[in-house]
Amino acid sequence: MSSESILSLRVNGQPFRRLVPAERSLLDFLREDLGLTGSKHGCDVGDCGACTVLVEGQPRLACITLAVEMEGASITTIEGIGGPEGPHPVQKHFDQQVASQCGYCTPGIVLVLVALLRDDPQPSESRIREVLGSNICRCTGYTKILAAARAAVGAA
Amino acid sequence: MSGRWHAGEEAVVVGHSGPKIDGMARITGQALFVDDLRLPRMVHAKFLRSPFPHAWIRSIDLSAALALPGVVGSMVGEEIPRKYGAIPVCQDETALAIGKVRYVGEPVVCIAAEDEETALRACRLVRVEYEPLPTILSIDEALDPARPAIHHDSRKPSNVLRRVSQDYGDVEKGFAEADLIVEESYDYPGSTHVPLESHGALAVWEADGRLKLWTSTQNPHYVHRDIARVLGLEAAQVRLIKPAVGAGYGGKCDPFCTELCASYLAKKLGRPVKIILDREEVFYAHRGRHPVRMWLKMGFRNDGSITAIDFKAQADGGAYSSYGVVTSYYLGVFMTLPYRLQNYRFESQRLYTNKPPCGPKRGHGAIQPRFALELHLEKAAQLLKIPADELRLRNIVAPDTETCNGLKVGSVGMEECIRAVVKSSGYAEKKGKLGPGRGIGIAASAYMCGALHPTYQNELFHSGVMIKVDRSGDVCLFSGTADIGQGSIHMLATLCAERLGLRPEQVRVVEGDTSLTPVDLGSYSSRVTFMAGNACVEAADKVRARLFAAAAKKLKVEDAALQAAEGFIFVKSEPTQKISFVDAVWLAEEAGPLVEAGGYTPPKIGNRFRRQSVGPSPAYSFTAQVAEVEVDEETGIIRVERIWVAHDCGRALNRTIVEGQLEGCVYMGVGEALYEEQAYRKGGILRAPSILEYKIPTLHETPEIHSIIVESHEEGGPFGAKEAGEGPQLSTVPAIAAALQDATGIWLRDPPFTPEKILKALERHRAPLS
Amino acid sequence: MLPFPKFDYAAPTTLREAVSLLCTPGARILAGGTDLLPSLKHRLFEPSLLVSIRRLTELREWEMLPDGGLALGAGLTLQQLSGLPALALYPGLQEACRTVATPTLQGTATIGGNILLESRCLYYNQPVGWRDAIGGCLKCDGSVCHVAPKGKGCYAAHSADTVPTLWLLGAQVELVGPLGVRLVPISALYSGDGLRPMLLQPGEILTRLLLPPPGPPTVHRKLRTRAAIDYGLLLVAASRSQSGYRAVVSAVGPAPIEVRGESPEDLAEAAFRAVQPLGTHAPAPTWRKKVLRVEVRRAAESLKEG
Repeated sequence: MSSESILSLRVNGQPFRRLVPAERSLLDFLREDLGLTGSKHGCDVGDCGACTVLVEGQPRLACITLAVEMEGASITTIEGIGGPEGPHPVQKHFDQQVASQCGYCTPGIVLVLVALLRDDPQPSESRIREVLGSNICRCTGYTKILAAARAAVGAA
Repeated sequence: MSGRWHAGEEAVVVGHSGPKIDGMARITGQALFVDDLRLPRMVHAKFLRSPFPHAWIRSIDLSAALALPGVVGSMVGEEIPRKYGAIPVCQDETALAIGKVRYVGEPVVCIAAEDEETALRACRLVRVEYEPLPTILSIDEALDPARPAIHHDSRKPSNVLRRVSQDYGDVEKGFAEADLIVEESYDYPGSTHVPLESHGALAVWEADGRLKLWTSTQNPHYVHRDIARVLGLEAAQVRLIKPAVGAGYGGKCDPFCTELCASYLAKKLGRPVKIILDREEVFYAHRGRHPVRMWLKMGFRNDGSITAIDFKAQADGGAYSSYGVVTSYYLGVFMTLPYRLQNYRFESQRLYTNKPPCGPKRGHGAIQPRFALELHLEKAAQLLKIPADELRLRNIVAPDTETCNGLKVGSVGMEECIRAVVKSSGYAEKKGKLGPGRGIGIAASAYMCGALHPTYQNELFHSGVMIKVDRSGDVCLFSGTADIGQGSIHMLATLCAERLGLRPEQVRVVEGDTSLTPVDLGSYSSRVTFMAGNACVEAADKVRARLFAAAAKKLKVEDAALQAAEGFIFVKSEPTQKISFVDAVWLAEEAGPLVEAGGYTPPKIGNRFRRQSVGPSPAYSFTAQVAEVEVDEETGIIRVERIWVAHDCGRALNRTIVEGQLEGCVYMGVGEALYEEQAYRKGGILRAPSILEYKIPTLHETPEIHSIIVESHEEGGPFGAKEAGEGPQLSTVPAIAAALQDATGIWLRDPPFTPEKILKALERHRAPLS
Repeated sequence: MLPFPKFDYAAPTTLREAVSLLCTPGARILAGGTDLLPSLKHRLFEPSLLVSIRRLTELREWEMLPDGGLALGAGLTLQQLSGLPALALYPGLQEACRTVATPTLQGTATIGGNILLESRCLYYNQPVGWRDAIGGCLKCDGSVCHVAPKGKGCYAAHSADTVPTLWLLGAQVELVGPLGVRLVPISALYSGDGLRPMLLQPGEILTRLLLPPPGPPTVHRKLRTRAAIDYGLLLVAASRSQSGYRAVVSAVGPAPIEVRGESPEDLAEAAFRAVQPLGTHAPAPTWRKKVLRVEVRRAAESLKEG
């Protein structure tokens, strides 16, 4: 029982060891301690999906995850799946379809789709729609997001 | 299809589809929003907010809060007493409440600490003594002279912020000539923007004694002016920088307590201060859609022509004015479009109530009356036995005309829009024939492309763009615009690239920095493409002229013989005769640095009615929409299955971005039609300040959206462009209401059309007449 | 933006240690955290200690029982659970898991956490500033129930999606506490008091969910405004046997309510008579009551067709 712990984990393939207070959210740990600001505070209580990261390849809301719970875990953030020079196919199609307007929800949505396509490279339309229900986008009306997701199927 | 600057030349870049130059930064998480910025020694501040809708503040005891370890400092309202407000003629708001609170959630105290948790805990240790006052929570209560004035200290205390009354033609004569008169009341609800990024600011005072402020805003210029004025600074002492903004939809137009308190506390404490609102607070910051109670009377001849409109609107504005004066005009101004009308009268009031302030939300002030007008047309069409699409087609204003209230209309693609949605949706075949519980509806609308007048009186340009090119080949465009996700960065790069023969991604855009970039009035009233676009073309054309002059000398031809494309300047008649863009820059720099600027000042088209200073625009966009819905008649649950939207945006500068705006507008309209309401319970307490309870649609509630771009050529627009960011939302809600009526026979005139309301109406509808 | 309050944290490796830590005053168990952690951010309660089940690997195991039933570790996520091939024989439960919140949250939330989901109310599950403005409620920081100001208690609604179906299936939970192990039928787990909705002893941990062998199928219906994110406005599970129809209705009070009927219509009428929705949710109770009849009938009718 303690108010802080030494946390060892891998983020985007790189090992980290940090002392973290028990009440630190994974989101604040990534943003403040590691400077990985691609994951966003949207609602901060698990309703919107803007903070989504991958834990062992599975989407997880970092705003309602305690950093200390991530001991030994392997985490992927938006910074870990490809940059402008080598974008992930999902990112490439998001760009081509202009599926990102303000871009605040985009990292979370991209990660949800990256995880989906890794588990199921040929997801059905209904499966794509189901997982996208995890994230709120207030700009696009989802139309271009769906188009990008469909285009990324098979390309991932 | 080409603009006035280059008749006879085909556009190369303009009109294409595809990626935004700043897209990858957002898609890879590299775009920096204000909460992503950190400074050494930075502290975090939080607000304590009022739990009362209307109360005197009798005392504030900060001692326990300040004693908490980690607390760095605090401020109360009296420390910055100057009032502010988006419109200079009615500034009535202070950064923190002074002496009195006027809505639940109004900020009262701001506390800075080493971390957010400590600041939050400290806020909860503040003891504020309130003395509650009678509250004003409805339009009727605001109109009741027996109730206290919410702004008791204003020059003429009253809960009516503004009353507007206008009369054109002869309305009574128009009604006398009518074969059919339709009269109804409508109630449009309040709703809020819910940008996924909350409001936030980061302020630091630099060694030169100046303030640097990063803030999530859509109006850097106006906010810059107000911050300086309220803090008692010269505007030149303040540098406001708009980083990436996680959208606004109108909700980030005003100055906010975040900006003022961060700036003030940063000075007071000598440390950088960051304030990021939490989600609950965003609902209190509000500035959303005004709830409006409306009464509409229209006269029609048997052929469907409109003989007169008489319209009254009362807007429940909340506790402060925000853009409320403008709202009171917008409620009436656009009723004269897109249908021919000679006789028009309107009266509006914008009222104060003890609720978070309303302000501009996408389609500001025009959404509510448009709903009334279009549903009214549906009713009239049925009574006149004229198809609803046909009724509209018969009434469309002609291009290059002036409306009875003095709006000067240029291009009008309304007919093409209506025909496009009717055809693609199969409206004529489906109307009245979809079977039980299913229905289809149509609506149309018009909107502005930028306000002709700024919020403060001046004759200066509305938008400035500066382009700097140097021998490295780097093209850097400086603009005071605020890209909030709508794509204005890409719009500027596109226009610049088009004129210089480059690709958009070769243009670097620096924007929204009040020290580095020329003034632009901001991302409101759908003005940016039209106004900043024009400024951009002018600046780019000056650069182009210098490059052509240099190239012409080298190639030994006349300037007029040249063309620019694909990174070269070449002789039109002999394209192999060319020099590269970079070589041309090198030659042009012989005459000095290659820096040019352009500005857009609206034409002095004015309005023959002097009172009509709010509403006129250099151009108008047009939209038509068809909605198809399905209603579960046992539960009242409704679903919008499909929407076809056709929009006349003038020239589409980037088709994908225009489509995205149409889709986003429809999405937001579906939210307002079926799910969203900024509603209050007794005591003026918001019903649902969370994304869990304020039901913005998810993917599952969003219909299939078919967007159709209708291109007209607007003479004054950049390459003929108009707007696409707001207008397309206007007709969504009435199209859905008409579809609901087609599906069920019920007329609902008070969105959102919740299952409860639908079921209740169905029960009434089914009950035998008593 | 919205920080957590301060607390201590422990991740014990044995059940015994976990139980002992949970006996600490102010301790709370942390499983998926998808309800607990938002509640902490809203300051609904401020535990001194969170006891994580993260290292209790046995809670993520499952096995087929000799009688053909299933024993499911309480720490299995809803996604893991609904993905088990064996769950295809419990279609109502599978469907219930897949309607919880969002797919991302289904990958984090556990079945144990869902069964023990805190009761919910429009006046309780709100941010802290809002609750200050209404002066708190009976369940938190206040003395009045805003749903039933003249009532006797707290009516916060049982909102666990999986429970109506588990109730009909005759599922049991295994509870391990300081006094040992006990099995409790799901139908006996809820007190009916919104303040303390679960009949748990201090220090008890829900370790396993025991499903009897597959029997007649159950169906699950969830009424909600949005097809993702939202908690249910009504949760209905129904089943059919030779003796007639049964339904369990939830989201209408602190505990689910079971009704029986001869036919779908009869069942719907029984539910309509037995259940009175309250103002714990945003839509009007009158509408929820009307729709309850439709939902129950439709649930039963879908069994008829199947």
